[in-house]
Amino acid sequence: MAAPVPWACCAVLAAAAAVVYAQRHSPQETPHVQYERLGSDVTLPCGTANWDAAVTWRVNGTDLASDLLNGSQLVLRGLELGHSGLYACFHRDSWHLRHQILLHVGLPPREPVLSCRSNTYPKGFYCSWHLPTPTYIPNTFNVTVLHGSKVMVCEKDPALKNRCHIRYMHLFSTIKYKVSISVSNALGHNATAITFDEFTIVKPDPPENVVARPVPSNPRRLEVTWQTPSTWPDPESFPLKFFLRYRPLILDQWQHVELSDGTAHTITDAYAGKEYIIQVAAKDNEIGTWSDWSVAAHATPWTEEPRHLTTEAQAPETTTSTTSSLAPPPTTKICDSGELGSGGRPSAPHFFSVPVALALAAAAATASSLLI
Amino acid sequence: MDLRAGDSWGLLACLCTVLWHLPAVPALNRTGDPGPGPSIQKTYDLTRYLEHQLRSLAGTYLNYLGPPFNEPDFNPPRLGAETLPRATVNLDVWRSLNDKLRLTQNYEAYSHLLCYLRGLNRQAATAELRRSLAHFCTSLQGLLGSIAGVMAALGYPLPHPLPGTEPTWAPGPAHSDFLQKMDDFWLLKELQTWLWRSAKDFNRLKKKIQPPAAAVTLHLEARGF
Repeated sequence: MAAPVPWACCAVLAAAAAVVYAQRHSPQETPHVQYERLGSDVTLPCGTANWDAAVTWRVNGTDLASDLLNGSQLVLRGLELGHSGLYACFHRDSWHLRHQILLHVGLPPREPVLSCRSNTYPKGFYCSWHLPTPTYIPNTFNVTVLHGSKVMVCEKDPALKNRCHIRYMHLFSTIKYKVSISVSNALGHNATAITFDEFTIVKPDPPENVVARPVPSNPRRLEVTWQTPSTWPDPESFPLKFFLRYRPLILDQWQHVELSDGTAHTITDAYAGKEYIIQVAAKDNEIGTWSDWSVAAHATPWTEEPRHLTTEAQAPETTTSTTSSLAPPPTTKICDSGELGSGGRPSAPHFFSVPVALALAAAAATASSLLI
Repeated sequence: MDLRAGDSWGLLACLCTVLWHLPAVPALNRTGDPGPGPSIQKTYDLTRYLEHQLRSLAGTYLNYLGPPFNEPDFNPPRLGAETLPRATVNLDVWRSLNDKLRLTQNYEAYSHLLCYLRGLNRQAATAELRRSLAHFCTSLQGLLGSIAGVMAALGYPLPHPLPGTEPTWAPGPAHSDFLQKMDDFWLLKELQTWLWRSAKDFNRLKKKIQPPAAAVTLHLEARGF
């Protein structure tokens, strides 16, 4: 009869499952969590077992050598990060699980680094913090903000866990703000505080969307435009001034221009034909410090396209000898004479008129001689 | 301002009332004037100049007062100095100030601050300090005149001295040396903050006042305000 055999199998399986369950969910089912300091020595007892009980220790399922044992206790010397793990001690003969310890090796926190900044003046400011060295175990931070004797709320940043935001209720205050932070973990505790005036922490975000374009027919110009940072809430009442720096990629030295308003500037002394790197920074007109440099924009000034193979070789570096690099062949000039008569192109200096005049005179002479 | 015994600010009330009655700068010549725009710009520039001047003056003066006043993280509670005009203001209130109120608050603040500064000058120990303070007072008087000019151009009346200021005072018990220094500290701090605030105030005014072409029309509208 087939039916009893499957039933028997099920019964055996159920019993085995029960045993396993009992073993796994013994009185020490939830491991004891323990934090120990890096570099220290620790003795792990096997729960309530006697010192002379016969036990075997395992870490993360791997047997440990018995030379680490002091009776039934496990001794670990000079703890390293690798020592972190799940330690379990078993009754040597029955393999009954006696005790489990989840060991975390770490360090007490060192003094945290705290800084505050207002990139949204006059709306508010934020403070962010970090530990100079890792602790390898979980830490909790507690931030308090005092304005004189008044406690202010620091709202946690939704995305960044080491940042919180404070809203200004009053502006132009002579009373300093004091921000204190305390950090603690299972191995220790530390704290620090900073004090500052409302004006000193103002630092905008860098300007956005910095774009540099060549200017047609101007081999030494570059037009740069940018936008005020989107985080700056009120550029009308709290205008920003800007600082522009630029250099050709091949040189190390920057040129600087400070601009009190406007979000555009034309560079007029660029080296012809060289690729430039350009960055902009922003600052409130009166208070605070300069922002970080913006994302760099790259551009090369306009250079004239070679038109004919017979044209003289382009020498864009030699801006002094303008006649050779800018004068097209005479045949082209006659076609453009109409434009020159009506005011000419902006990049056409006076010397063009000489060959044109000669050409016109020659043509007129030829025509008149033909008529005669 | 009420005269509290031992309050050094109260002792200067007499001087302040005298200053209130000084004739204000005559109104800008209305015929063909370019509007208040250039004078707002000038006032803004003056606040920047004064702020720059104050930085070196305050540094020197605080060193003269000695520690802890010249320590960068000196952060005392604001006690006393009740009559000092405070620059601090609620953000929304500041935003919604109308032009007249904005200008009036600036004018009144600097009138008081100038008065107190002159008192400071009389007590200053070294000749060099007195010279720097006197120079600053002159510049501050210029700023006051500039603000008065803007107010006149916009048709706003200059504020009158507060009723109740007594021309005589009863000298109270001697102000302790330390408390006097605290008062000086707060005066300089408040002055610096007011100059920062004024820059923002005049920025706001600059944006609201139209360019010179439309100034005449705006000027007429302002008069009927």
